Amino acid sequence: MTRLQIEIAGGRVTFAGRIDESAQLATLASQLLPGPVVLVPEGVTFVSSVGLREWIRFLRALRESGHAVTLERVGDVLMTQMNLISELRGLAVTSFHAQYECASCRNEAQPLVDATLSPVPCGECGSPMQLADFPERYLTIFRT
Amino acid sequence: MVVHPERRAQRSLQRMLGATLCPVTVAADLGTAAIDGDTIVVVDTAIALASLDACKRPARAWIAVPGEGLQPADPTTVSALLNAGWDHVVAHPMPLLAEELLATAQKLIRRDCFGLDKYMAWGAEVRGYTLEDALERDAAVGAIASDVTRVGLPDRIGSLVSVIADELLANALYAAPVDVHGAKHRVHDPRDRGRPLVDRDVVTLRWSTDGRYLAIEVRDRWGTIEPAAIETRLAATKTSTVESGMGLPLAYACSNQLVVNVAPQVLTEVIALLDIRYKPTELARSASFHAFWGEPP
Repeated sequence: MTRLQIEIAGGRVTFAGRIDESAQLATLASQLLPGPVVLVPEGVTFVSSVGLREWIRFLRALRESGHAVTLERVGDVLMTQMNLISELRGLAVTSFHAQYECASCRNEAQPLVDATLSPVPCGECGSPMQLADFPERYLTIFRT
Repeated sequence: MVVHPERRAQRSLQRMLGATLCPVTVAADLGTAAIDGDTIVVVDTAIALASLDACKRPARAWIAVPGEGLQPADPTTVSALLNAGWDHVVAHPMPLLAEELLATAQKLIRRDCFGLDKYMAWGAEVRGYTLEDALERDAAVGAIASDVTRVGLPDRIGSLVSVIADELLANALYAAPVDVHGAKHRVHDPRDRGRPLVDRDVVTLRWSTDGRYLAIEVRDRWGTIEPAAIETRLAATKTSTVESGMGLPLAYACSNQLVVNVAPQVLTEVIALLDIRYKPTELARSASFHAFWGEPP
């Protein structure tokens, strides 16, 4: 399984792979220049409880050092786990992947959506796909 | 003993439990229920909520089941019951309710609690891995995730299986072992350091699916898990922070049923069950939880 890969391009940080005890997040906040930061954890495939703790500490460190933090294209597994943590409520998340299902052909997919959780066309039959999980598993984080 | 205010629910529960061929009696409330130390008491969640301490009364077990119309239990109710120390909380509607209740009752009646096979239909193969070194955790998790995808289950299930297996293995490897003074001396071990697993350190991972459920089972040979402490942690469904002890709550959040079997000081077995028939929205928002104590197999 792939260790966490981190790419920094100005204020934009892209993550892919596993967030677990091997993830090098402890010093990442100090490597970023002052100013707004956009985190793009679209390629995150796995988050353990230890990894989630490190991720929270990383977000906390960014906040404490005065960065305005926005998350884009958050992977499904990270999004649902962040929604378990009340400390993260109010975090700016512009888009994320969510579990959808087509009622017509039962195709499952994780399309990129926003907090409206609108239907998206099925990639196999074109029928509307709907969220296949409880909305609060994705939207609790938006409550302040 | 079924304690439920609705006659229709009483009948349904009586039939489910009747499959054990043990006598089943019904009552509309706890005040009229005849309960002794050998009774398995199946209680409507509304009654259980109104009498949270009932589970402390002598009985073989207290099992909370969905209330009005046997609809799914809501997360607040499940949390309140776990927090009050209920060892058996069934959250799901039919048909999971019947399957879960029968398996739970039979485990209690037969005093035989260990093994994921009790939740699988006959014919389902069980695959297992024995870890020989703590560093094999990643490989075991990768293997089970790969197996699950290979049998045709969606990526969503594979992803959940990875998280559950990893957390249960980490718990067995680092939280379960104790030293001669009873201290959990492996908790702060670096997770990237190898450690040969022999004798009591042996950890096994097994999984199976029967087209209804996917079950993941992890065993350690320490028997140090404390169900009451786990129930309290699981009850805090929304965690304010994640400084420690998030492993089992995370596995619980990813499961539809979490089962803890323990032979104190000898063996701990945690089984996570995922329903693979229904969409998450067709099930209860919170997972069911069960804790059993028994003799090791």
